[in-house]
Amino acid sequence: MATARISGYRPGLVDLAKGQISREIFVNDEIYREELERVFARAWLFVGHESQIANPGDFVVSSMGEESVILCRDRAGNVHVFLNSCRHRGMKVCRYDEGNAAVLTCPYHGWSYATDGKLVGVPYFREAYHGTLDRSAWGLIEVAQSYLYKGTVWATWDANAPPFLEYLGDFLPYIDLTLDAWDGSDGGTEILCGIQKWRVPCNWKFPAENFSGDSYHNISHRSVDLVGIGPSGSGRRDMPELNMAKKLHIAFPERGHQTTSYLLPKEAAPPPAYQRSSVVSDYFRECEEARRKKRGDWGRMIALVGEAFPNTAFLARQPRTLAAWHPRGAHETEVWRWFLVDKNAPTEVKDFLRDYYIRYSGPGGMTEQDDMENWNYAHAASRGTIARRYPYSYEQGMGAEVENYEWEGFRVPGTVCDLTQAKSSEHNLRNLYRRWAEFMAAESWDELTSWRRPARAEAAE
Amino acid sequence: MPCDDAMSDRADQITRFLLKEEIEDFLYREADLLDERRYDEWLGLLTEDVRYWMPMRRNVKVDDREREFTREGRDISWFDEGKETLIRRVRQIQTGIHWAEEPVSRISHLLSNIQLLEVNPSVGEPAEVAVRCRFLVYRNRVETETDILVGKREDLLRRVGADWQIARRKILLDQNVLLSKNLTFFF
Amino acid sequence: MSEPVNIRQIAPGTKIALVDGALAEVVSNPADGVWVFARFLSSPGDPSRVGGEEMIFAQDIVEIRE
Repeated sequence: MATARISGYRPGLVDLAKGQISREIFVNDEIYREELERVFARAWLFVGHESQIANPGDFVVSSMGEESVILCRDRAGNVHVFLNSCRHRGMKVCRYDEGNAAVLTCPYHGWSYATDGKLVGVPYFREAYHGTLDRSAWGLIEVAQSYLYKGTVWATWDANAPPFLEYLGDFLPYIDLTLDAWDGSDGGTEILCGIQKWRVPCNWKFPAENFSGDSYHNISHRSVDLVGIGPSGSGRRDMPELNMAKKLHIAFPERGHQTTSYLLPKEAAPPPAYQRSSVVSDYFRECEEARRKKRGDWGRMIALVGEAFPNTAFLARQPRTLAAWHPRGAHETEVWRWFLVDKNAPTEVKDFLRDYYIRYSGPGGMTEQDDMENWNYAHAASRGTIARRYPYSYEQGMGAEVENYEWEGFRVPGTVCDLTQAKSSEHNLRNLYRRWAEFMAAESWDELTSWRRPARAEAAE
Repeated sequence: MPCDDAMSDRADQITRFLLKEEIEDFLYREADLLDERRYDEWLGLLTEDVRYWMPMRRNVKVDDREREFTREGRDISWFDEGKETLIRRVRQIQTGIHWAEEPVSRISHLLSNIQLLEVNPSVGEPAEVAVRCRFLVYRNRVETETDILVGKREDLLRRVGADWQIARRKILLDQNVLLSKNLTFFF
Repeated sequence: MSEPVNIRQIAPGTKIALVDGALAEVVSNPADGVWVFARFLSSPGDPSRVGGEEMIFAQDIVEIRE
């Protein structure tokens, strides 16, 4: 019996009551086209790091959704994000990855833009345009909003999107675990030079759900654990936290962000780490002690992976990285990966971490290689006519989440699923797709900002 | 006497030619080991202090070329490692459960444009040789997944006993965004 | 019609002759081969431009002097 063709998003593809999600959302080209409008044109996206554009005139090309953008700093020192397309006839204005320029000149007809986006150079403006072109209307298209947070640059095309801090809400302190220095000082991180960029033949949501907290797939990385690339000589990472901590899935249903984190007991000393280098393990231990003093109970939280909706991933520890899963059609993703270290760490610490990061992550990384094999062939095997009829299973740990999770005096912000005994749950993944479905269905931000409803209801009265 | 000079020039040329033959033969043998997945033997061709580096590449202005490549020992690269992690990579493949390389890929390493850049201390008694070549690594896996990776390679070979070993390999892949989903093989 | 000139690397201070007979001095060069910023030294066609700094388009430059 032929089933009805799925021509686009419709309710029911994400069925959280059953814990099932249709394969169509990963492989359907029409749904993908809708995603570009409904998700990527509206959400906050990670664009880059301020240190990539440290000086006036510095620019770097990045990506928002499918589109190329220019991240730059103008002469006054302000940061901008522009669509990388000439207003005249669309030519990619900047085909360099990075550099410094007084103006950004399009090679096609010579239109030239200042680093604040203004159209400043129009060949034969007097002669051919008779001086009548309104240059102020033809500057580079700029994002509707941008925000700088602890070195990271975010942007959205949607003027109606909630401001960045509101968009992240109570998830923000979890992002801080990646962006703050190890000793808990605000910001205090920098990126290492060299952004990894590579293509994976899968839908962007495969890596997005992985970093949301796929706690179940560790078996796939067993070969890495066996050879031991971890900074203390064994496994993939140092994981003595496992033995004493609570392992938690933490999600924010109203916003679609989630993370996997470890919560240490109140009185335990931080577990040792980075033992392969005494300089690094000493640095780490001192930082952890400082962090506990500075952050109190928050110093007990050790984040692992996390995902800010829709496609910005974090790994706070071992390695420490930010990634963006750029959609390149329904069937391909271009991954961009940045690596972070403490600004003030000794050179030996940065070098040690850099060595570790390179062998862990990315296409040359012993861990990430297996992830990509899985994403590639899971996607490929889901494209067929018959395959699409059968939903994926996301039932693990349904109903096991709690609000107001507390342990030894620390009340964990977010909806929590305790994995310590359970070992795994798909709570965070369901959270990602709940939010995805909301974005696909919502006509306006009113439907996407449920946390504002009490205020709206009051205002209505 | 001019005749003697001509003879000794020719002798030099022949010595150099024979050395180049020997180096090429070594590199082809190495390629065989990699194609045949004889990894332990391949590791035996690396010095203990080997450096294996594959920088990433950027599109930059023609006169900004020092920013084109990520820097060894300072920046993130595709590979920047020594013997220890190369051994671990081999061990990972040998577990048989490194899914990115299980089932195994079919791979061929093609080398061309092999040139001796520098021979120390002399062609007659070479202890270290700097070699440049072009590579084309063809990798095919599972059903239709195919990667063709092309670029330049600069090796430093060191004479150890009766044979050569690789002390340094710099791999300059001619790509910006990497078009291969993984690099589970060696260049 | 004069030979085209590559303006990409002209240094500040260089004098350039323009297609309308004007003479300008390069103030800065964005090194894109399309534009330079230059100050007018003489402008027979429009004397009001003298002393002013403008973006000069490559196709309007007929000669690089000194």
